[in-house]
Amino acid sequence: MAHVVLKDLVKTYGSFKAVNEVSLTVNDGEFVALVGPSGCGKTTTLNLIAGLIPITSGDIVIGDQVVNDLDPKDRDIAMVFQNYALYPQKSVYMNLAFPLQMRKLPKAEIDKKVREAARVLDMTQLLERKPRELSGGQQQRVALGRALVRDPAVFLMDEPLSNLDAKLRVQMRSEIKRFHQDLKATIVYVTHDQLEAVTMADRMAVMNGGFLQQYDSPAQVFAHPANMFVASFVGSPAMSLIPLEASTANGDTVLKSAEGWSLQLSQRNARKAQSATTRKVVLGARHSTIKLHKSAVPGAIPAKAYTVEPTGDVTFVQALLSGAIVNISVSPNIAVKPDEQIWLEFDQERMHLFDGETEMALEAA
Amino acid sequence: MSTIAETAARGQARRRLRFDGWRWGGRIFLVFMLLYTALPMVWMLLTSIKSGFAAMQFPPQWWPDQPTLASYQKLLDPQNSVGQDFLRFFWNSLFVSTATTVLSVIVAVPAAYAFSRFTFPGRNFLFFTVLLRNMFPAVIFLVPLFILMRAIGLVNTHGSLVLTYLTFGLPLAIWLLKGFYDNIPVQLEQAARIDGATRFQAFILIVMPLSTPGIIATAIYSFIGAWNEYIYAYTFLSKNEQLTLPVGIQRFFSENTTDFPGLMAASFIMSVPVVVLFLVLQRYFVRALTEGAVKH
Repeated sequence: MAHVVLKDLVKTYGSFKAVNEVSLTVNDGEFVALVGPSGCGKTTTLNLIAGLIPITSGDIVIGDQVVNDLDPKDRDIAMVFQNYALYPQKSVYMNLAFPLQMRKLPKAEIDKKVREAARVLDMTQLLERKPRELSGGQQQRVALGRALVRDPAVFLMDEPLSNLDAKLRVQMRSEIKRFHQDLKATIVYVTHDQLEAVTMADRMAVMNGGFLQQYDSPAQVFAHPANMFVASFVGSPAMSLIPLEASTANGDTVLKSAEGWSLQLSQRNARKAQSATTRKVVLGARHSTIKLHKSAVPGAIPAKAYTVEPTGDVTFVQALLSGAIVNISVSPNIAVKPDEQIWLEFDQERMHLFDGETEMALEAA
Repeated sequence: MSTIAETAARGQARRRLRFDGWRWGGRIFLVFMLLYTALPMVWMLLTSIKSGFAAMQFPPQWWPDQPTLASYQKLLDPQNSVGQDFLRFFWNSLFVSTATTVLSVIVAVPAAYAFSRFTFPGRNFLFFTVLLRNMFPAVIFLVPLFILMRAIGLVNTHGSLVLTYLTFGLPLAIWLLKGFYDNIPVQLEQAARIDGATRFQAFILIVMPLSTPGIIATAIYSFIGAWNEYIYAYTFLSKNEQLTLPVGIQRFFSENTTDFPGLMAASFIMSVPVVVLFLVLQRYFVRALTEGAVKH
């Protein structure tokens, strides 16, 4: 096992920067998820680590070796692909044996390791089958086995669960997590699904537009998003972002809406709002931090219910506020009808404030 | 009142009984096409086992009174002068076609792979020029190529034919194989490279076996093209001992008489390698033509 360091990593295609000065460290035995929307550069970053595409500038260190110019085969990595990339003409056994054969291991040792990997992944009875004779979940497991059999320094996984159906995905998610816990393996895991990243990773690197937006533990990313992109990307339903204008009078700071209502800020939030570059401040609030009232309450803001989505455990209400859609979760025994007048109360302790100009999270000075 | 099940059952019965004009029309058309292609071959075979006299009779003998294999014996007898010539032509054809096939696979496989996997300056232009050659009828190049072959001293050599057949066969071979490589996920090679293979090993160990049907189809196509080619062989070769079969078979036409049974026997023997090749490998050929064409 080994750690991985990316230093000012850049990949350009012509004038397009796919990966832009990304720097991060993956500790030995750590599970790191690269997460972001499609086209954010996460898969490119993974391919750069694997050595499948050449880097434009920067450094990649695996273990204690700079691997910038090494062939993929010399980097001591294993990769699990989105489409599994099992060799269709080879049996499961030969698929698992291939990485060992390429390393010229003795036949007896190959046999031992293949059977051990098959036992661990519970697919001994599948060894003679061809990949096309396997179900999606079994193929996925073979792909995992082929990575595991070699005992590499780093595992790279490129959206390994996205081709599975929803039920199997949840099951394989916990299997991969278990796999990481048992092996203490260093894993770099690419996904577009923030839920996968949050549930599996020790740390998550949120990317957008080729830039690394935030790199921290899922709990930290969730609780303290660095900017509006991360705030809206992580968490489901997404954090509501309401563009407002800050103004201070008589020592009180309020956020004013173009619709006419205003929200008085606590001391701490007031200091945050005052640190913004302009008066434009964006209020961010997760669905669970907003209280819904069916009658006027001091400090609550009037809004209109837009849609109501019961999910059983909890009912999601969407409301329109200052042109933004606000998600609120309520207990299912609170009946709200679309177009009904409601009042929303924001939790001062758990609200987020962002600079309307730079989109960065505001900190109390 | 009838139930839904009853109605459905009646509808099915009606469908079974109804005369399907389109289907029968199609069948009749196919039978007609089969006769159209098969009858000349049957007639070729029948004539080849007749005597020279019986072959010229009118009304024709549908089945020869005295079937004989004399023509075949004559052609395949190395002591006989006709047999010597025929066998030499046969080997000449086999050599030219095999050389063309081997070379075209050796060139087309890496070329198609490069067109499919690598981006390099002028890729699209080059790929277009590969096809450009096929937009003109082959005869257009007859005189220029002859002049070229004379200039480089290849007239009256089998090399001139191999080179020429390559220029005809390669464009389609590259096109067909590129379609094949396009359909092989690039992740397979990436996986192999991560698993410890060099780029070349990934190609040889993983990609090549997967493209075998395409390579076989390409080989058959080149072989048949070279085997049957007439006009270039007729133009480039003039020495008797070098002729290929399509040209050599002409020798059965002489000024006064034509040995029709001998001609037909020679034609039949000539068609054997192609038919055998096709029967053995047709499975791959059909798969190649469909797989290469369809994107998954």
